[in-house]
Amino acid sequence: MKQEDLKFVIVGHIDHGKSTLIGRLFYDTDSLPEGKIEEVKEICDALGKDLEFAYVMDHLEEERTQGITIDTAQTFFKTEKRDYVIIDAPGHREFTKNMITGASQAEAAILIVDADEGVQEQTRRHAYILSLLGLEQVIVAMNKMDKVEFSEERYKKVSKDTVDFLTQIGAKATYIVPMSAKNGDNIASKSDKMKWYDGPIILDALDSFKSLVDRQGGELRYPIQDVYQMDDKRIFAGRVESGIIKAGEEIEVLPTGEKSTVLTVEEFNNPDKSQAVAGESTGITVKDKLFIDRGHVICHVGKGPVVSNEIKANLFWMANEPLKAGETVIFKLATQEAKCLVKKIEKRIDSSTMELIEENAGTLENREVGEVVLNFTNRIIVDDFNITPELGRFVIEKNLDTAGGGIITDLGGK
Amino acid sequence: MLTIIAIDALEHKLVEEFDLPNLKLDHYGKTNISEFSEARTMVLWSSFMTGKNQEADILAKGDKEMWNTKFELDETFFSKFKNPKVIDLPGYNYDLEQHERSRLLLREYFETEDEEKKNEVRKKYNDNAFAHHRIVKKEFEDALAAGHDLLLGYFSVADEIGHLNFGNKMMNKMIYKELDEIVSQVPGDKIVLSDHGMMAIGYYGDHSEYGFWSTNFEDLGNPKITDFREIIGKKYQ
Repeated sequence: MKQEDLKFVIVGHIDHGKSTLIGRLFYDTDSLPEGKIEEVKEICDALGKDLEFAYVMDHLEEERTQGITIDTAQTFFKTEKRDYVIIDAPGHREFTKNMITGASQAEAAILIVDADEGVQEQTRRHAYILSLLGLEQVIVAMNKMDKVEFSEERYKKVSKDTVDFLTQIGAKATYIVPMSAKNGDNIASKSDKMKWYDGPIILDALDSFKSLVDRQGGELRYPIQDVYQMDDKRIFAGRVESGIIKAGEEIEVLPTGEKSTVLTVEEFNNPDKSQAVAGESTGITVKDKLFIDRGHVICHVGKGPVVSNEIKANLFWMANEPLKAGETVIFKLATQEAKCLVKKIEKRIDSSTMELIEENAGTLENREVGEVVLNFTNRIIVDDFNITPELGRFVIEKNLDTAGGGIITDLGGK
Repeated sequence: MLTIIAIDALEHKLVEEFDLPNLKLDHYGKTNISEFSEARTMVLWSSFMTGKNQEADILAKGDKEMWNTKFELDETFFSKFKNPKVIDLPGYNYDLEQHERSRLLLREYFETEDEEKKNEVRKKYNDNAFAHHRIVKKEFEDALAAGHDLLLGYFSVADEIGHLNFGNKMMNKMIYKELDEIVSQVPGDKIVLSDHGMMAIGYYGDHSEYGFWSTNFEDLGNPKITDFREIIGKKYQ
């Protein structure tokens, strides 16, 4: 059975072969519109060049610009296991902002590194963004192995450099795959030129990743949106963000810790409904008379997320008025809303260059990323961003406007 | 060593849109060709190499004969160099037969009404332009290492392909990227110069009323094509 789509982003130095890799992924998975590759090949032949996949991407991009293809925002390719969506990352700033605010949610990343040139400044910056965003499913694609004669020694050297700098920034690579996008080595099929490599090829590595939206198998996370009284029933409505909720099950309500049993799972005109799965908006009734309100989260007993009064987060600020250390702002996460104190701005980072501007800063300015500590009088319910993105991502309101968005990096204690 | 990459119909807007760093070099802009009544290839390149507006003299030869214009070395600024090499430049030493083949195919294309026939002729026309490009490119690349103090390579592929295929953005982008790669291989001082640009007339392309220049050594502002003789003369006197 096919799994849910997986959205990923390809980042890295501009000349390290991103377009070529995308073109190759499309070509090798037979996902290109019919005739496109032939057209590009014909012109490459006419110019006396090898087929360059970057041109294929140019072609598709051009068609999207002209509105010829149906989908204008995202590009897709398929494997036997699932469909993939490559999220366009036009610039660091847009990508960071979109990721943090949830506008485009990459679930995995390919960090591309040129085997010949090795780790460059831009590679470092992009890797830092991935770590900032909490992305844990990362393939380092060591491209252009053909330029280094498929040398194992070179692979080891660049791998070591990569691991060293990833460790410095608190990130790690799930796989480091030696490959050549131009020639198709280790992308969709194992290369016979690198027999010394026994790890997964790019497509297998992607297939091994977990889709963050494939959450039916995860722990139950049911944030309450509203409470309705209908006849004699008190219905707790919300969207199941993760797991499955079933009638008859023991549940726990956070942050109060009260426990009860699910009596019914409600659906209009469907009295036989007995369960709701991740992604479904539904309503439930419970056996006991409990205090449940908007913002509470229902989970299985003892298997809930973290209830915390202090978190650390990476925050993207997007308001003209700066965020000040010491001020109180409105914090919104899933259906929760709470006042929060900006206890510390530990780091101010330029979101375009990813350079550190200041440590222990007094303010965070428009378009900057901050590593911040947020404190709450009333406890909030939070979860690992990589497990339940909706409980790991938040927005900040200031002066009644959305002024920033962030990803929690430290959930704090219970 | 100075290398001039002379490109027919390199459009300023497209160089910007495709963001090609080698075609832009360190300084780039448009050339002013407003002194000419029309952007004609033979007139513009002749004026470039002689440093003098040649429009009246060339037009006086008539439509057909003007293509046979041929300046001698000592009439051009190339003679100021000890060991110049000029490849396929109109008005100097370009391949007349190639030009004639291209011209006849273009006429055949516009004379036929039949779509299938048009496509067939278009393919022949494109093949002819690309084949010529490969020959010129090879000669240019070989000459790069031959120790000339002036090397000028004239590339007509953007103009020829553009006339019949300007609506094919991908094809044009691939050609521009190809030209960008060619410039990237050139060491030392270089000038990229185009006689005129190109604008869309439906799917076809016609000459636009400005040219393109770029250099890796000096900001030239908004020069006339006839200024290059003096600009180069001053730098290499």
